[in-house]
Amino acid sequence: MNKRQPAPRSLTAQLDRLPQWPLYLGILLLYPLLVYPEKVLFQWTEISVGMQLTYIFIYAILALGLNVVVGYTGILHLGIAAFFGIGAYITGILTVPAYPFGIGFVGSLICASLGAALAGLLLGAPTLRLRGDYVAIVTLGFGEVTRFSLRNLEEITAGMRGLNPIPPPTLPAFLATPLSWLGIQNDWALDYRLFYYLALGLLLVVILLLRNLERSRLGRAWVAIREDELAATCMGINAARVKLSAFALGCGLAGMAGCLYATALTSTAGPDAFDFSRSVIMLCCVILGGLGSLRGTLLGVLLLIGFDNVAAPALDGFLQRANINPDDNPWLTFSNWKLMCFGLALILMMRFRPEGLLPSRQVEAELHSEAQLHREGASI
Amino acid sequence: MIRILPAILLVALLAITTLVGLSGSGGGNPDVIKIVSSLPRTGSAKSQTDTIVNGILIALEEADHRVGDFRIVYGDWDDATAGAGQWTAEAETANANRAVQDPDVMAYLGTYNSGASKISMPILNRAHLLMVSPAATWPGLTKPDMGDPGEPEIYRPTGEINFLRLVPTDDLQGPRGAAWAKEMGVKRVYVLDDNEVYGKGIANLFIDACQDLGIEVLGHESIDVKAQEFKPLMAMIKSLDPDMIYFGGTTQTKGGQIAKDMVAAGLDARLMVPDACFENAFIDSAGAENVNDRVFVTFGGLPPEELTGPGKRFVENYRRRFGRDPEGYAIYGYEAAKAALEAIRLAGIKDRDAIRKAAIGIKNFDQGAVGTWSFDKNGDSTLGTISGIRVHNGKFEFVKVLSE
Amino acid sequence: MTPALLLAQTADIDAWQAFWQYALIGLTNGALIALVALGYTMVYGIIELINFAHGDVFMLGAFLALTLIGAMGLEQAGAVQLWLGIGLLFVVVPLFCAVLNVTIDRAVYKPLRNAPKLAPLVSAIGVSFVLMNVGLLWHGAADKHFPDLVSRQNLLGENAAIEFSYKDLLVIGMTVPIMIALTGFVKGTRLGKAMRATAQDPVAATLMGINADRVIAVTFAIGGALAGAASVIYGLYINTVGYQMGFTNGLYAFTAAVLGGIGNIPGAVLGGLVIGLARSFGSAYVGERWTSALVFVILIAILIFRPNGLLGARTREKV
Repeated sequence: MNKRQPAPRSLTAQLDRLPQWPLYLGILLLYPLLVYPEKVLFQWTEISVGMQLTYIFIYAILALGLNVVVGYTGILHLGIAAFFGIGAYITGILTVPAYPFGIGFVGSLICASLGAALAGLLLGAPTLRLRGDYVAIVTLGFGEVTRFSLRNLEEITAGMRGLNPIPPPTLPAFLATPLSWLGIQNDWALDYRLFYYLALGLLLVVILLLRNLERSRLGRAWVAIREDELAATCMGINAARVKLSAFALGCGLAGMAGCLYATALTSTAGPDAFDFSRSVIMLCCVILGGLGSLRGTLLGVLLLIGFDNVAAPALDGFLQRANINPDDNPWLTFSNWKLMCFGLALILMMRFRPEGLLPSRQVEAELHSEAQLHREGASI
Repeated sequence: MIRILPAILLVALLAITTLVGLSGSGGGNPDVIKIVSSLPRTGSAKSQTDTIVNGILIALEEADHRVGDFRIVYGDWDDATAGAGQWTAEAETANANRAVQDPDVMAYLGTYNSGASKISMPILNRAHLLMVSPAATWPGLTKPDMGDPGEPEIYRPTGEINFLRLVPTDDLQGPRGAAWAKEMGVKRVYVLDDNEVYGKGIANLFIDACQDLGIEVLGHESIDVKAQEFKPLMAMIKSLDPDMIYFGGTTQTKGGQIAKDMVAAGLDARLMVPDACFENAFIDSAGAENVNDRVFVTFGGLPPEELTGPGKRFVENYRRRFGRDPEGYAIYGYEAAKAALEAIRLAGIKDRDAIRKAAIGIKNFDQGAVGTWSFDKNGDSTLGTISGIRVHNGKFEFVKVLSE
Repeated sequence: MTPALLLAQTADIDAWQAFWQYALIGLTNGALIALVALGYTMVYGIIELINFAHGDVFMLGAFLALTLIGAMGLEQAGAVQLWLGIGLLFVVVPLFCAVLNVTIDRAVYKPLRNAPKLAPLVSAIGVSFVLMNVGLLWHGAADKHFPDLVSRQNLLGENAAIEFSYKDLLVIGMTVPIMIALTGFVKGTRLGKAMRATAQDPVAATLMGINADRVIAVTFAIGGALAGAASVIYGLYINTVGYQMGFTNGLYAFTAAVLGGIGNIPGAVLGGLVIGLARSFGSAYVGERWTSALVFVILIAILIFRPNGLLGARTREKV
């Protein structure tokens, strides 16, 4: 351990010592209320940043769920989109008018989370004892089986058409009045801010839950298994149960995100929205941000989903308005280069931050000591 | 390292944007009208949306980007993302909201997928914004009693109609195709579809018509569009000995591969496909020798070589600009843009509701490339012409108009 | 014999013929999947990287073949030129894919050798996107027909009940020797031995004087060359190429590699054949729409009962 440094003098250094999350949270809370930033950003980018942030919050919940499985526990999960989809479809079945249930948002949120967690348990129980990469392929396979089932069981899932319309949540009366003072209308389709705050609120709950779990007995057991399953078992950890708990929790969070996603869209969108590419992108978010790091995962989602949903269309729109390509030459069309930009961004970010953008302290420490070992090894 | 810097920048951004907003600017440009399209421009449907956009570009160029005193600006928006490789619901929502919030946008051309229309229709409907789809064919989007319960009212929260389409819905092509098959002497048919909204819908209606006409349907199967080949399926179908295979699907959902694997399996049955395969890419991907004289296509409207007047001019312009005959989707894209321009001309003012109403009121429009049509009470075109086309010598060749 | 019984018997014969036909198609497709899976499994065996870009290298190989066929005018060529041309394809395309694969490794994966295990996975996904975009710019978004250069004539006679054409022969005739040669190389040569040693324990192998970097480069080269050869065979057999074909092929190759036991060469071949047969019988007897799901259900079932894949050694995970 380092000795305690003498208190730094400069202002920036002092500011750096302050916790940062209240500032970011404050910005996120204030942004929609200020109204003007949203309007001006829309003029500049033609993208409703607030609405896209809502989706980013939802994907953040999904990514945090995946982070529990991949980041904390070290199980490579290539099928998280399936559980996202299970959550969305449970929500669809429980709320759309074509079915007799109509239980509304809160009930479907609980059912979607529990249903996806249960699906995770059923898949995990027989397969989690497999070696790492075999688990990866099992989850991938489960994801594909789920997608094909959603596609083919047309009587239940409406096939490729998706289930709709999913009704918006009902706002309790004691909230509606104070919100109207803030200028927020009680209409989920017209005012994006209701969903914004709902998604942000749930994200905060998830973050708090995970922060507490991280430091709990269970959280430490997850990390112990990631680091060395054999040693962890020797210390009396029941590896099978601990892994299964992480898997079920991760899948449950994915189901919760799925419920939010479907409700925000008023539709389950269709089975292909929950395919392998979505799993892969979420995995990229988690790894890119830093495995096992809450802050990192959030940043990863912000960057990758932000690129896809905000930066790319904004840039595309800007280039079109600038009219640099009056003859519509395909070589100068942005959509012909989109995949390249995305791919290069992934490669470069991993090249320069292989441990992730904001790695958890453990991973960082470990890497540095390993690098040191390598250096020492080389000098011998 | 100053860890707090990003946060400070964000606060600064908030402050600046608030100030800019308070100082007040914006509003649109009164002389500019924007037409946008929302189509999947990344991923598997790209080759077909390329042709739609080409059709739209021709329509705008023919009008010289002007209608009356208005300058027409076009925005080619993508409702697919790089990460997903296909249309995503949130990108479509974003596009719809972007159109609603941009005061210059007066017409929204889209979507390609019926599922995407379901999401953007209610958003645009609340803004009274005209939406013309060149490709979404699910009948429930416009026709009562033909889709799921509650359709199409659930897409029209204001009760008004704002979604119009020129592409013939599935209930025209399927039955006429079946009648044509019967004329050819087909007695036994095997039906395939791509398990998408469009392909499955059209295949189901084809089957219904076959049963009415007394054509024996040997089986119906959906393919996996990501599969590479269908040789075992074709071997299985061969043992049933059909006269014809009907494939409800598009070029991109393996229309070409189906044609090819039929030949490879030694099946000498004919193949019939709907309008989504009416493009040279279909022949290119199947290989001309595999489709010549055995593939039959139905298409809503007249094919390019049969057109006269304005339609002929379009074909010539298209050939000059892109060096090939217009594809089926290019024609629909062109027609959708034409309808939007006509609505703006009829309305004469830059007002969404006026333009929407003008569009619904379009009667006997004959300046486009598919023939004369009006919009009916649901927002579908009244165009009843379905052409029968076959592939001959590596080219599409008009056979006849399929009468009712 | 009553007519009814006779009829039942012919139906029986027909059913068996159909069965063998499906088996043949399944084996041919399986051999093709296996060839791609070999490259996957070799790279995995050495550096434990799930190389998502492998399928896209395969795709670019097919695109190069398509361009070369156009440039050489093979579609109009006579028999001798045709076979010379195809022979040339089998030299140039694997070479191109090998060089491409090694370059990717040098530029992208090598700097990440000491990074956390999953970091190169993201890079591989990134490379996959970049290569897909290259393919898109090269041949456009639409699927392309790959010319039918090999005869479709039935080798078993014009009216035989089972189709076995020159094309099927080409697939089997190319893949089996390649697999045998590869097995021989890995088992028999010094370099192959070095590869196996590195796969088992890279540190120990380095201490024994094995140049791990060189071994890795060779692995990528061989993997790329296999993908290149597979892409030419794929083009000639399936006859359709498109910029997104790498994804599905990569997915099946990965599945085959795992099914057989990761890092195990005969295992990858067996895995490919199992998938090919499952797909074929699935679409014939279960229904085309469930075929792909069926493949993965079989995969999960096999792994539950054989946790190390079909031929995987019962080893403990390296710690």
